[in-house]
Amino acid sequence: MGDVIELPRRGLSTPVATLQSITQAASSRFLASWSIDEWGRDDSFVRVAEQLTSVRWKTVTGGLELLPVHRPAVVVVNTRRFRLTQWWVAVTLSAAIGRPVRFVGRPDTAPLGALARRLGGLLARPDEIVGALRHGELLVVGLSATLDSRQVGTCDPALLGPAVERRVPVFPAAVLASDSSRTARIEVAPALTTRRRRRGPLGEVELAGLAETEIAAMLEAFGGAHTGTPLDWLPWPSGGS
Amino acid sequence: MTARPGRRILVSGMGGDLGSRVAAHLEREAWVGEMLGIDTDPPRRRLKRAEFHLASPYDHDRILALVERFNPHVIVHLSVWEPFSRANPKTARALTSEAASSTLGAAAECPALESIVVRSGIEVYGRAHGAPTRPDESAAIAPTCDFGRSLAEIEVTARDIGLRIGVPVAAVRLGSVLGPHVPSPLGRLLRQPFVPFSLLADPPFAVVEDVEGARAFVSAAERRLDEPVNVLAEGAITALQAIRRGGRIPVPLVGPDWRLAKLVSGVAGAPIPDHVLETLHRGRLADNGRMGELVGFTPALTTVEVIDKLYAWPSVIRQPATRQVA
Repeated sequence: MGDVIELPRRGLSTPVATLQSITQAASSRFLASWSIDEWGRDDSFVRVAEQLTSVRWKTVTGGLELLPVHRPAVVVVNTRRFRLTQWWVAVTLSAAIGRPVRFVGRPDTAPLGALARRLGGLLARPDEIVGALRHGELLVVGLSATLDSRQVGTCDPALLGPAVERRVPVFPAAVLASDSSRTARIEVAPALTTRRRRRGPLGEVELAGLAETEIAAMLEAFGGAHTGTPLDWLPWPSGGS
Repeated sequence: MTARPGRRILVSGMGGDLGSRVAAHLEREAWVGEMLGIDTDPPRRRLKRAEFHLASPYDHDRILALVERFNPHVIVHLSVWEPFSRANPKTARALTSEAASSTLGAAAECPALESIVVRSGIEVYGRAHGAPTRPDESAAIAPTCDFGRSLAEIEVTARDIGLRIGVPVAAVRLGSVLGPHVPSPLGRLLRQPFVPFSLLADPPFAVVEDVEGARAFVSAAERRLDEPVNVLAEGAITALQAIRRGGRIPVPLVGPDWRLAKLVSGVAGAPIPDHVLETLHRGRLADNGRMGELVGFTPALTTVEVIDKLYAWPSVIRQPATRQVA
């Protein structure tokens, strides 16, 4: 039988040990529950981002009951230029439905790329989407960005290809956020279905077209945006939103 | 496909921590018959059945003679020198390349050969801008660091030999291997009292414990796996998180100061090779979703738990001599 040898414990004898002790105490106080998942998404950071976005926008959501609770899905949204719409939608949906929601289309340069990764951003690459869907993730994919919130951009069929191949439901969602007030709305529609199942890449092309049409119709159904000012009476198409 | 009993196994790189662990695992397997090990250092643990030979990777003739005489059914090639683990990057690259050509080349001459398993790493995927965040086994090999290029070279050599002589080739792509006796440059850096991290990026990375890495090689050999497999622990961690968990002092760095950090870290005994630098700047993840299907087990420890264990290993405590004798 071996003897247990007690090694001498070192106290706060050196400046380095003292500094280490202070750092440990500070980090355990402020970063205790900090963790990231296998894609680099930081849940605590997402919660902070959601609180910050709720200061700016009071978002009304609809159709969230259509989204699967555990299974993979893709939500296609209209986006506006310089608004990081996918980021905001992913953060808002994540808080609303209580499961991690990732968005496609993060940059890959620091610090913006690193920030986006913490929020659940994925690169706009089909293989990245395949991997996420294989792990049952819920993804937000944006149409190409437009300057006018009432206009709908184009949908990249390559980004929907993985969903078509894996028979993952694709939900169109219309997003409208006011520039001048706190009003914002995210409305999710039932999953898209094409008339016939294609064997080749025509499937995603048709699905992309269908997503654009559906989102345009939903934005039309939203009616004009209201700024609460006489601007609402002016005849331009976006009505100030 | 499972191996028939009485298989002769050749383990190149048996002297290293991973090699000794793999050999110890293989000794317990019922399907393993005789076992031969070759390395430049003796094995680090007690092996009962294995026959071991010290041989330099440059000694092609001796390795060829040993391997031909043994005529293995399975070769597990672990002769890989990670830069700044046991050798400087230049020597590590040369030793790895020589070992691959001599051992795999010699194995190709053996008529009994049924399967080749090689040690690779997720460094082969590369971390170029726009590269996939979590590449799976089907992702293109596009290494962006020295170590990744060395590993990719081994994979190509093994695959070419496999195609030529018609035997299955498995590449076990490990995350950064950490273990109490593994001379890992990443582990060494993280255990320093002051640890640098990228302030603007602080990307996530995943690691694997040496025990699970070793298990994957044994399983790949037994199953005669014929494709690559990513082997790493679940989850991810960033350098700052690791520093926090280890109670180390974080040193935030932005750009040119990394040169100074590399220098200081090298002087302090933890040189930073380019693949570790890439990990700290760009992260290193991979999809291990097929581990269960390909090697028959999923990792028991998460990346965070492996990092916690890294900090739990006792440090060397130097006690002055009570009496000066010389």
